[in-house]
Amino acid sequence: MSLTTEGRERLLREFPGDLLSDAPEDLRDYGRDWTRVVDPAPCLVARPRSTEEVSRLLSLCNELRLPVVPSGGRTGLAGGAMAAHGELVLSLERMRRMDPVDVLGATVRVQAGTVTEAVHAHAAEHGLTWPVDFASKGSSQVGGNLATNAGGVNVVRYGLTRQWVLGLEVVLATGQVLELGGALEKNNTGIDLRQLFIGSEGILGVITEATLKLTRLPERLDVLLFALGSLSDVLRLFREARTSGLVLSAYEFFTDLCVARLLRHRRLRSPFAEEHPFYVLVEVEGADAQHLERWTSSLFGIVCDGVLAQHASQARELWELREGISESLSSTGLPHKNDVALPIASLEAFCTDLTELFARRYPDWEVVLFGHIGDGNLHINVMKPDGLDKEAFLARTKEADHELFALVQKHRGSISAEHGIGILKKPYLGYTRSPEELRLMRALKGVFDPHGILNPGKVVDA
Amino acid sequence: MKILVPLKRVADPDNANKIKVTAGKIETTGLEWKPNPFDEYAVETALRLTEDAATPKARKGEVVVVSFGPKEVDTTLRSALATGADKAIRIDTTDDAIDGDLLARALKALVEKEKPDLVLLGKQQVEGDSNQVGQLLAEYLGWPQATFAGSIVSEADKSLVVSREVDGGSLKVRVTLPAVVSVDLRIVNPKGVQSVFTKAGHNYPEGVRFAALMAIMAAKKKPLTEVKLADLVSDPTLKVKTGAAELPPSRKAGIKVKTVQELVAKLKTEAKVL
Repeated sequence: MSLTTEGRERLLREFPGDLLSDAPEDLRDYGRDWTRVVDPAPCLVARPRSTEEVSRLLSLCNELRLPVVPSGGRTGLAGGAMAAHGELVLSLERMRRMDPVDVLGATVRVQAGTVTEAVHAHAAEHGLTWPVDFASKGSSQVGGNLATNAGGVNVVRYGLTRQWVLGLEVVLATGQVLELGGALEKNNTGIDLRQLFIGSEGILGVITEATLKLTRLPERLDVLLFALGSLSDVLRLFREARTSGLVLSAYEFFTDLCVARLLRHRRLRSPFAEEHPFYVLVEVEGADAQHLERWTSSLFGIVCDGVLAQHASQARELWELREGISESLSSTGLPHKNDVALPIASLEAFCTDLTELFARRYPDWEVVLFGHIGDGNLHINVMKPDGLDKEAFLARTKEADHELFALVQKHRGSISAEHGIGILKKPYLGYTRSPEELRLMRALKGVFDPHGILNPGKVVDA
Repeated sequence: MKILVPLKRVADPDNANKIKVTAGKIETTGLEWKPNPFDEYAVETALRLTEDAATPKARKGEVVVVSFGPKEVDTTLRSALATGADKAIRIDTTDDAIDGDLLARALKALVEKEKPDLVLLGKQQVEGDSNQVGQLLAEYLGWPQATFAGSIVSEADKSLVVSREVDGGSLKVRVTLPAVVSVDLRIVNPKGVQSVFTKAGHNYPEGVRFAALMAIMAAKKKPLTEVKLADLVSDPTLKVKTGAAELPPSRKAGIKVKTVQELVAKLKTEAKVL
């Protein structure tokens, strides 16, 4: 339902003047995430300062049946934070209080609008960190990370966001405030409701605060970049890395096409004199220099070339080659993004099928691959050919996605490894989830949000 | 051509651990180090001058890197060996026992032993920013010097045409070897260095080269010798006396003003800038 004049007047009457905005630039900026597929068109932007305000606001929206889109740093890639149908955008950005770090328990309580990087800096003062890390950490917010169960570059070492949350404060559509989990590491007391909200993309409730679990800051990190001749070598190298006894904190892969786009867009350089089809960035933690050296010297049958960063600036430079890819793809063309997960054992067979599929059906498309291959997570980016217009391209990608996801299904993978479902992947959810699972998801949605005001149209329909 | 490159390690400006000062002295334990960027450029320049870019593994000259410091400095020297330098020398000392003048005197003695055709160094190190050693060394050796090199064209082993970075442009000078040349930022541009071996018009990747894994291993076998400072200079007197170090005062916390009027009032009465 859209906002009536009456509803608007009540909202304006019951909340402080600066809480709501309908300035055109606010509607545009707060109404969209990093996807550019649909145009933003919310009716209002609300920026509450406290849980109490969030609660009153949701309760009123529930009464007015006004749809609400919860909003964090809006760096999502699945359209989960898009507001394109007259919704009210609920931005948590003013709620960024961080409590003092509990050093003994290694936890910290923060509000949902806290920027990820701010949590890192706050914890680092005590030699601790929240090991949820990705390229958009300077804009992404804790609430959004939790709502999307964000992944990132360190999942191979630390796991997903889900594993680093002890407690949540959540506001339901009715305005009811729930405290789930507190700061307990162990709490075996029935169904863990907290985990339902993590990764639910804001369709069950709005996360307003969280108690985050911290871990010690990593010791010395060594960063290596390898050049390889084939995907099977990429996987062989991963086996070698896994069994090396080294503490692997990242195993990232990208192809020559990524590097070509990157070098076109930015003043970066490849550390290798020659071009190679595949590259792998490996980060190891606290390695003994001799151990690392023994390992690298055993790799020359697998890798074509390799470099080891000699100091922190070089390590950053190597990381730029991986972390800059996404931005460079968007800046040098229009990418259609897919983010799939496969069982690692099936990756090679999947990639063979994938290459065959695109060569046969879409021979003029540039398919750019990169990803967290240590987690079986592949980012498949298809670039719009210059000759094709945007609408035609998007229409064809929809068709291609069905073929791609059928392959994912065949290899027992997931159509969304870490980006979530949002609106972009919603039509394809059935490739990964069974009809029974979808029915249960809808039933849960009905329990938490009977009027369906929270992030409607995303993930599953009510 | 034989080139000597002095190389110093400096505290990484992006150190995770903030620099601490205790009793007027900077604490260096726990700091992360990296080569002084300008010195890294000097090593890169030396490598470019002594190779054909098409076949960089076949070295066409000798690059000797030298650093002053304790045992830990070996790491920095090994990294330089891994990028292609042939031999390394560590002059055993500590940072507080040296200054620019003593460095230049020790380097002069080393030059007389090693007999390089060229001493290439960074224009300055980013900790002290003194910008002295190259100039003093040229004076002590009686060699020609070209400072702030933004580009170098090698003319066999006879001379170099150096484009110096000066205010508002560049100044080209020809120096006859042996000579002292200090390098500036732009020297690592794709066309910053033109050696006699590399085909004209070659584009290097911008910046300094990475150490390949193979080369890191090979570097273990390259010679790294230790020399006592006293073997090079008999008089260790310093010309620069260091007083006490102190951290810059921390900034006062800012305040938030509620209105533009209040801001203007404060700018007038407190900051007195209006």
